[in-house]
This record gives sequence, C-alpha cells and structure tokens, in this order.
Amino acid sequence: MFKKKILIAALSLLALGSTTLQAQKISVDPALPEYKKVSGISGTINSIGSDTMNNLMTLWAEGFAKYYPNVRVQVEGKGSSTAPPALIAGTAQFGPMSRTMKKGEIDKFEKKFGYKPTAVPTSIDALAVYVNKDNPLTGLSLQQIDAIFSKTRRGGYDHAITRWGELGLTGPWANKPISLYGRNSASGTYGYFKKHALFKGDYKDSVKEQPGSASVVQGISEDKYGIGYSGIGYITSGVKAIALGKKDGQKQYTPTVENVTAGKYPLARFLYLYINKAPNRPLDPLVREFCLFILSKEGQQVVVKDGYLPLPAKVVNKTRALIQ
Amino acid sequence: MKKTFFTSGTPFIWLTGLAAALGLLMIVGLLLLILVNGLGIFWPQNLQQFTLKDGSVVLGEVWEKETHDNYDTGREETRYRIKTANRDFYGLDFRWLKEDDISERQMPPTAWVLERQAWGQFFGFIIRLSNNGVALASDELNVAAQLPEWHEKMLAAADEIHQLEKGSIGSISMQIENMRLEKRKVILRRDTTTASGRAALRRVDEELASLERQYQELEKELMQRITDSRAITITLRTIDGQEKELPLIDVVRMWQPNRMSAPEKAGLYAARVWEFLSGEPREANMEGGVFPAIFGTVLMVILMSIAAVPIGVLTAVYLREYAKQGPVVRAVRIAVNNMAGVPSIVYGIFGLGFFVYTVGGTIDQLFYSEALPSPTFGTGGILWASLTLALLTLPVVVVATEEGLAAVPRSIRDGSLALGATKFETLWRIILPSTSPAILTGTILAIARAAGEVAPLMVTGVVKLAPSLPLDSTFPYLHLERKFMHLGFHIYDVGFQSPNVEAALPIVYATTLLLVLIILTLNLTAILLRNRLYARFSVTKI
Repeated sequence: MFKKKILIAALSLLALGSTTLQAQKISVDPALPEYKKVSGISGTINSIGSDTMNNLMTLWAEGFAKYYPNVRVQVEGKGSSTAPPALIAGTAQFGPMSRTMKKGEIDKFEKKFGYKPTAVPTSIDALAVYVNKDNPLTGLSLQQIDAIFSKTRRGGYDHAITRWGELGLTGPWANKPISLYGRNSASGTYGYFKKHALFKGDYKDSVKEQPGSASVVQGISEDKYGIGYSGIGYITSGVKAIALGKKDGQKQYTPTVENVTAGKYPLARFLYLYINKAPNRPLDPLVREFCLFILSKEGQQVVVKDGYLPLPAKVVNKTRALIQ
Repeated sequence: MKKTFFTSGTPFIWLTGLAAALGLLMIVGLLLLILVNGLGIFWPQNLQQFTLKDGSVVLGEVWEKETHDNYDTGREETRYRIKTANRDFYGLDFRWLKEDDISERQMPPTAWVLERQAWGQFFGFIIRLSNNGVALASDELNVAAQLPEWHEKMLAAADEIHQLEKGSIGSISMQIENMRLEKRKVILRRDTTTASGRAALRRVDEELASLERQYQELEKELMQRITDSRAITITLRTIDGQEKELPLIDVVRMWQPNRMSAPEKAGLYAARVWEFLSGEPREANMEGGVFPAIFGTVLMVILMSIAAVPIGVLTAVYLREYAKQGPVVRAVRIAVNNMAGVPSIVYGIFGLGFFVYTVGGTIDQLFYSEALPSPTFGTGGILWASLTLALLTLPVVVVATEEGLAAVPRSIRDGSLALGATKFETLWRIILPSTSPAILTGTILAIARAAGEVAPLMVTGVVKLAPSLPLDSTFPYLHLERKFMHLGFHIYDVGFQSPNVEAALPIVYATTLLLVLIILTLNLTAILLRNRLYARFSVTKI
C-alpha cells in the first residue's frame, strides 16, 4: 500500500520534473478599468478587522488619499473576528476579513439591519510551499505535505516523511533530513495551513516557528534542506515555490494567477472587505469610491506590490456592478 | 610543579581574561557584521552586462559568488547572485547566473540606475525624454545631456506639491475636521429647537461651507500641478528590449555608475546616506528613509525621561532619606528591584489596559465625546508608550539614585546640619548635587533600555507607518495622542514582514546600525555630562 503511494508520488514527480519552475512575474489583468476621480469626496475612512490585510488597507488608503487629499484614514488590524462587531456597531465602514463571515456573524448583522452584509473580494492570498532554490523537487500532494509537517497525519499516510529520499530525490539528497520551517501560532497563515494542508491535524514539534512570513523564506534560502510555507508574494531568488496537488497521483499545479483563479491550486483564499450596503439604496459616496479604487487597475497593483495575487477582470467587473 | 601552577592563581587569571576576551569578541563581531552590511549598501556599484550562451542578456550588479554541486550532473559549479532590479518587469529583484552560461561580460557606459518612487530601482537605458508626448531628446546622448536640468525642475515641482499637500491642504483639512466635530458638539450639547441653538448650528454650517470652498480651490490647484508635472516623461528600455514610459517626477535620483569616478561615487554615497537619514519611507517601508522612525524613537525617549527621572529620584530620596528604615521600606525596595526583572511585554499589556483603555478611554468620554466612537486618547499613542516605558525604566533610576545617595559620606551631612542648614536645605544644596552623577548613570541605563525596547511599544502606540509626526507646526505642536514610528519596530517589521525581503534586507542592516549609533550617542552624551559633574562635585573623594 505504502510502496504504491511512493511509486505514484515518484511518477508524478517524474512527469513534472522536466518543466523547471521559474519565478513568475505577477501582473494585473490588463482588462481592469482605471480609477476615475469624482468630486465631493471627503470624510474619514474607518477600517477595523484582519491583521493580514493591515498592510494592504494602509497601502490602499495611501493611494486613495492621493486622489482625495482631505480624506482621513484610520486602519486598525486586530484580527478578522473584530470586523463584524465593528460593522454592526457602526464604528467602521469597512471590515477587512481574511475569511468569509460565519453564519452567526451574518445573523447578528441581519438582526440589526434587516439585510445581509456585502462581501467585496479584494485580492487572493495563495499559500506557497517553498524549498531551497537548489532543491530538485518540483511538486507535492497535500497528503505528502501532511506527512512531512504533521504528527497526526490525518491525510492518510501511516508514517512520517523525514528524509528527502522518501520524496523521490536521489544522490546526496536521499539521506538528508527534511528541515521544517513554519509560522508562529498567532499567525493566520499558521491556522490556514493547519486547516487545509494538515487536515486540521497538529504540527510536528520539529517545525521551526518564525515570527514573520519573510523570515520563513529567509530561513529556507539559507538552509539547503529546508521546506516551509508562506504567501506567494514573499518569494525571493533564494527559494522555489513548488507545485501542489490535492491528492496523490493527481495533477499538480504551480501557484500562478491562472491556476489560482481557476481553482486548481489547492491552497488559496479570497481576502474580503465587508461593507454595510442596504439593498436598492446607493452606497455612501466615500465607501463606494474606496471600493471602486480597490477594484481598479491601480488598486490591484497595490495588491501585487504587497505580495498577494490580483483579481481577474471577470471577478472585478461582477463586484463593481454589485456596488454601483 | 603542577600544584604550584594551580595554587599560583595563574589559571584563574587566564580564565577571567578568556571570559573578557570572549565577550569583547562577540560585541566586536556583531558590530563588524552590522557595519559591513549596513555601510556598503549606499555605495553605487558598477552595472555589468552579461551575454549568456543562449543569446539572452542580463544587466545588473553582482552581489554574491558561490560554488555548489549541481544536482543533475554532480559537478561543482560557480554562480553569481545578480541584482537585476526592475521589479515591475521581472517580478523579482535578484536572479542567479551560472558561470558556465556566461559567454561575455562588459560594462555599458550609458547604463542608468534610477531610484523610483514605486517599484524600486531600475537598471537600463533612457532612450527618450518627452514633454506631453513630444520628444525633447530622442537619443541617449542628448537625453543624458538634458536630463539633469529637467530632473532638477521636477524635483522642485515635487517639493512644491509636497508643500501644498502638507501645508495649506493639510491645515484646511484639519480645520474642516475640527468644524465637523464642532457641529457634532452643537448637536450633542445644545437644543437645536431653540433660536440660539439654531443660530449656532447655522454659524457652524456657514463656516464649514466656506472652508469647503477654499478646499475645493486648493484641490483644483493641486490636481492641476500634479497633471502638469507628470507631462514630462522619460522612456525606459531594459537590457532585453522592454520599454516603459515614466513621469520624470517619479524618479528620486539617477546616476550612470559605469561613467562615474571614485570621488563622484563618494559624493553620491554621502547623498544617499543623507537621504536615508532625512527621508520619508516609501513602498511599505522597504525603501526611502527612516526619518520618522528616528524622530519617534528620540522623542519617545525624551518623554520617557521626563516622566521617569523625577519620579524615580523623588522615590529614591524618600526611601533613603525620609522613610524610617524597617521591614516596610525593605519590602518596597525589594519590590522596586524586582520590577526591573518583569518581562517588558507585561508592562506593555499593563500600559494597554490601564493607560490606553482606562485613562485614555475616560479622557475621551470627558473631553472628546464628539469624536466618539473613533477614539482620540483611547488608542495607542506616543504619550501612553512613553509612560509605559517610564514604568519599565523606573526601577533602574530608583536603584542608581539610591546607591548614589548612600555613597554621600555621613560627615558631609553632619557638617551641613552643624552649620545650621535644615534637612531640606542639606538635601537640596549638598546631597542631591553630589548624587547627580549617579542620577545620570541611572538615566543612561534607562535610556539605553528604553530605546532598544520594542515589545511593549507594539501594543501601546507604535505603528508601521504613521501619517504625521507627533511634533509639527500646527497647534498644539506636540500631539501626544498620535501614533508614531520607532527604529526597533522598523527593524522587526521590515526584516520579518516585508514581502520583498531580499531587496529590503540591506535596509534592515542600515537601520540596525543607526539604532546602535543613536543609543551610543545618547549614552556618550550622558557619560560626558556625568564626567563633568563628577569633576565639579567630587566631594566624595576628599
């Protein structure tokens, strides 16, 4: 049973081995509309929510303030769960969240206002699994990742993978132990990886927990036998993002914009901005313009700059229609 | 023989010497590492052009050379890490080149390095300079000749735009904001159904409208200037032939490294170091300067000293001079000493709970209720951060002062009292002055600890990017409620959180070097001051 799995894994590796993965340039969809300034926008933008999106919100706010110099911005990022209460109490017009609202949160909102909150998808966060640039490995299945990183192995493997040879590497690599890098438990990335790549299992104790996504990447570029996970935007010339497949033997996909938006890449999520929009009534101009700015070419360029993936024009246009 | 060797004490001397040498070595090693990595980054390197065997060309700075074993062939090969910049074209700032792949190297004299407002540096060629699409110069030689003059103009224009944004527009936006709060205050506090209430409301509304009109005009002027200034553009071409048009105003600095002599490079080096010290950060802190962080760090340390030193000294005087020595005072002393050992994050959380939420929240309800629910003092700010650090450093000041007081000889006190001085006069005129070197020692230690502390600040008011400094030219000048930037947090943030860590790493080293230098300067000033005071009040040595 186990041998068969390894064989399949090795075969899938072989199949992928010929295509070398190179760092891709992420660019925004050229079909996205440019942002157009309107007059009469002023006031204060209050945003309370996700800490993952703290940087993004700040950058968007800066870009927005270039068009409207008298708009003031206050961004508070203490976690996605702080967004719904702030929206309900009215202390913020924007609730950035790195997950969708839970049913209970939507219910509470609906009880107060009589309608549901509106989720504006703003960008895509794809989690990449990185190895050192010299590592010949090209792809893994989620089960293999689970056997590498987890001590509970809910993915189905009956033993842990600890050496590179068990992933099909030969020569001097075969006997080298796999060195694990990860995030600290306060991070949302830690939670997301645990839920989706470890099947809600537990991490091994040997995972070296890092205080930031960038330091995971730094660690792997210094450690030839390292493997770890971080957002795709944190890629450097010292590491390589490998392809991932949902199951052993299934086709593996690299974290490119196309694969992620087509839903083929298994570790990706939308980052949302929740707003309070009453049905059949126009939005407050400030809120509307800020959303339109995010959903413009310029706003999406900020997404790329901050290390996330921009939205494809199809999603953007659908959301723009929703807001206007 | 052996016995005498051990009993002679020689091994112990060796042991102590070794320990001292080890400590010194570690400090020197750390400083050297920071110095080498932090000082080198602003030096303009030459741009090399590599022609590869597959025909493609690469332009960049060589950052690193290493040898490794190729996985497929098993042979050892040499490779270089090249900074190619042009993040907007290639997606990454760096790439690796194998020695075996390179067929030719040269140094193109016309290659430019551009420092841009966005997307980091550009390496390549400038092939056209145009005004509103009309070419002013369309070959490299002409462009290079005309560019400096135009760039100067653009920098002046950028300066004017900045002045307009921060000056007139900033102040009018603030007036509008205050007027809005005024309006809310009127609605909250006065009965708008009465004639006087309505009149007050109307007055506020009128003023608001007039301010809005002024603002509209200024905004129009600003937008006009921005559009005008963006008409002058340059066309960039990368080594592999990709082209892009860029408004000249978005270029911070430009140079042709392969044409520069060593003195010119030294001049550019100095200019870039100065920009780092005095400039504002760009691109999520990964580029530009760190001035707001330096300013925030120093201001916070000063505010902290203003709070911690007087309280610390008074506490020490009471404990040593007035309090009846007994179990209670001893217990207090032990408590103070132990406070120095409490982890700093505990102070941070205390600061958040007590200063920010309790004190700050109360202040907001009493004085800033019209701005609620958005908090004024009820959120982290430089005042709360300084007070939290003052708590953290208080024990250091208390202990140092107490030791200083204890070192004043009994004969001096007795002499003063015998001459008819009261206890207070003795304390004020004799004892405290001769304790001042010790007080300063305590302050030095407190400052050194406070300037390097990050954890408690993260919860009490430090932010990644503060829109405005806590000290400026608008009334009341010192804005204690504002959030601020800090060098220590800057290092943490850029080093661990920035999306393009490879390009940002040099900034981390430079910032670390700067923080070490600032602490060193603060300490040296205090040490010099202490030595002068020692010379003046060296009563203890008589």
